[in-house]
Amino acid sequence: MKDVNAENIEFLSSGVIAPVKKWGAKWSLWAVHLVTSCCGVELAHAYASGYDAERWGSLNFGMMRQTNLIIVEGTITKKMARALRITWEQMPDPKFVILIGACGIEGGLFWNSYHITRPWKIIPVDYFVPGCPPTPEGLISAIRALQKKIERGEAKTTAEFREADLEKILGKGEKERKPPKPPLKIEPKPEIKIEPREVEWEFGKELVAKLSSKLPFAEVFVIDKNRVYIKSESKFYRKVAEVLEKEGFDHVKSLNVIDVLHEKKFIVECSVSSYSVKELMPVIVTFSVEISRENPRIKSLIDIWPSIDYQEREMHDFFGVWFEGNPWMGNKFLLAPEVETPLRKDFKLEEPSYVLEG
Amino acid sequence: MLSYESLLEMFRQNSVGIPLITRKVVLYHTASKIAYIPPLTSLFAKIPILNLIVALLFWKPFFAVLFAPGLVCILIAILFIIWFERKVTARVQWRYGPLEVSRSVGGIIQPMADGMRYFFQEVIVHREAHRPYFLQFPLITFLPVLLPILVIPAGAIYAINTPYSIPVAIALISLIPMIIVAIGWASNSKYAYIGSLREAMMYFSYEVVLIISAMSMVIIYGSANAFSIVDKQSVVPGIVLNPFAALAFFVAIAMATSRFPFEIPEADQEVVFGPFIEYTGIIFGVVMTLAYEKLYLLCMLFSILFLGGWNGPFIPPLGDLSPAFWLFLKTIALMMIFVFFRTFYARYRLDQALKIGWSTLMALAVVALVTGIGLGAVNVTGWL
Repeated sequence: MKDVNAENIEFLSSGVIAPVKKWGAKWSLWAVHLVTSCCGVELAHAYASGYDAERWGSLNFGMMRQTNLIIVEGTITKKMARALRITWEQMPDPKFVILIGACGIEGGLFWNSYHITRPWKIIPVDYFVPGCPPTPEGLISAIRALQKKIERGEAKTTAEFREADLEKILGKGEKERKPPKPPLKIEPKPEIKIEPREVEWEFGKELVAKLSSKLPFAEVFVIDKNRVYIKSESKFYRKVAEVLEKEGFDHVKSLNVIDVLHEKKFIVECSVSSYSVKELMPVIVTFSVEISRENPRIKSLIDIWPSIDYQEREMHDFFGVWFEGNPWMGNKFLLAPEVETPLRKDFKLEEPSYVLEG
Repeated sequence: MLSYESLLEMFRQNSVGIPLITRKVVLYHTASKIAYIPPLTSLFAKIPILNLIVALLFWKPFFAVLFAPGLVCILIAILFIIWFERKVTARVQWRYGPLEVSRSVGGIIQPMADGMRYFFQEVIVHREAHRPYFLQFPLITFLPVLLPILVIPAGAIYAINTPYSIPVAIALISLIPMIIVAIGWASNSKYAYIGSLREAMMYFSYEVVLIISAMSMVIIYGSANAFSIVDKQSVVPGIVLNPFAALAFFVAIAMATSRFPFEIPEADQEVVFGPFIEYTGIIFGVVMTLAYEKLYLLCMLFSILFLGGWNGPFIPPLGDLSPAFWLFLKTIALMMIFVFFRTFYARYRLDQALKIGWSTLMALAVVALVTGIGLGAVNVTGWL
């Protein structure tokens, strides 16, 4: 069976009307420009009154469906790679790509960045214009070279350079470039320090004394003006809450979970305050407990403060902490069903799969 | 019964007279002999089938739609005006504009190169498109573009001589926005939808003004027939009689054909060609010229209503084409003015354009109508 499509393409590229087609494509290189970095300024310069690339029939456009040339200007990050690939795929054949700037060739300034792609691995490039940034003449010469390529069907460089023996000039071989080591230093056991602080706050001292007498099993101290902190064991979590509720703390400000990965524990922090007792209104009391990271379970406070409901569900979504007694446990509140515990520190991000090689 | 001979005779009796092509040129004439150059069409006069085709081509209704002022003239006008638009924009910005494609004539064949490139480019029909409509509507656009040519005469070359030529032409031209909206719907894309919506909004803002200002001129002339309208302008053109109507019609044309400062439906910085965003290749070439075709038709109407139509000195070598030539010249001059706006105007927002259409422009149109009724009541064209 004959391949009709291949025959038609063959006829268009080398048949009787091929010269007309080539002439049209040659003098009508409309460029869609991906301004991803500073080379875009040079492109604007090349098309403005000084150099005027429109003399060669090249018109600067912002869309890909009606044009036939992509000018990639500089750095392409992994996120931008997707846009570049889509732009190239949506452009009708025949299409051409010119890549300007050092960043597009080997990364340039950002050669060791974690987030850089090489555009020539994503789309096929016809001409490279090196420079940081290249001059408008460079871009125009690439357009001229592309016109010649369309006419003759073969790519040719626009500039020939002499070869020099670097070992003779520099004296020794070029060292391999290695990215510098990151200046990150990880402490063996970073601690979350919450310490008592001396502040002039008379009412605070009274409050701490009162709470300490009622909570003999917990540590109660002032951390700042109007801020009181209570540390206890996880089995007294509900007990502390009940005592605070009786004291007049009638609502929950926030519920928070801290993931301490290296100690394999979660710290559950709950901040409460009051709307009904005047002296307690500016005061925020935070009480915290530590729970195991394996199968984290803790009693819910939903019957003491109903407003904690949403925050418990949120923490269940983000960290997978099970609040016993909350009727909504096991259902996703904010996240998509397939996402599991995204705020845990060992959560693995998905590698971007849209960078298509070749 | 239509026989071959009667058909041939019908075509030949109503054929366009152009010296050297369809009419003999008499060199000298004495009592005894006549020396003349025979017309080119006489070469085919004896060959069957071919003589019918040649006679059909020069049959006036067919010639009007196909050559002047029809398809070929539209093509020439579009190729020229697109080049002119790019060139004049470049000159205002201190650039050269298209040049190197043909250096000796200032790159005037640049639109042809663009057209060739579009012609050979791949045509993409995206998955979401309503496929049959998406491909049909660009071709259907030729209907409302070419049908008005039937009722807009160019001097001796005309297809239909009707007392309602101006209203019929405006009614047919008004069908073009329908097709643009339909194109946007068939594209089934959100950007095309925004573009169609803008097109529909603009349609609301200019259409009433366009019709009122044209009708005020019809009231002055006391006739809607293009022939009598042009006859009555032989001394004083309509733009002097009723400048308000001319101004309102002028701005309405700019709105109707999305010229600057009303280039809102196709604003390529905002909604990248609006309704036409999904089109590629030759189909885009067809829909892109739609605005220019509409501009051509409306400019032709403007020159018939306000600038004396095909009035002008008779040029003997052109024969019947002479009035068509004058009409074409006036139309092109008007089109050049419209595309020149691109170089120095910014773009209005949609709400500003609507506001202008329904306040200032509408007031101007009402003034034009009152003036038209006043001048028509005293029969100004009768005693001029």
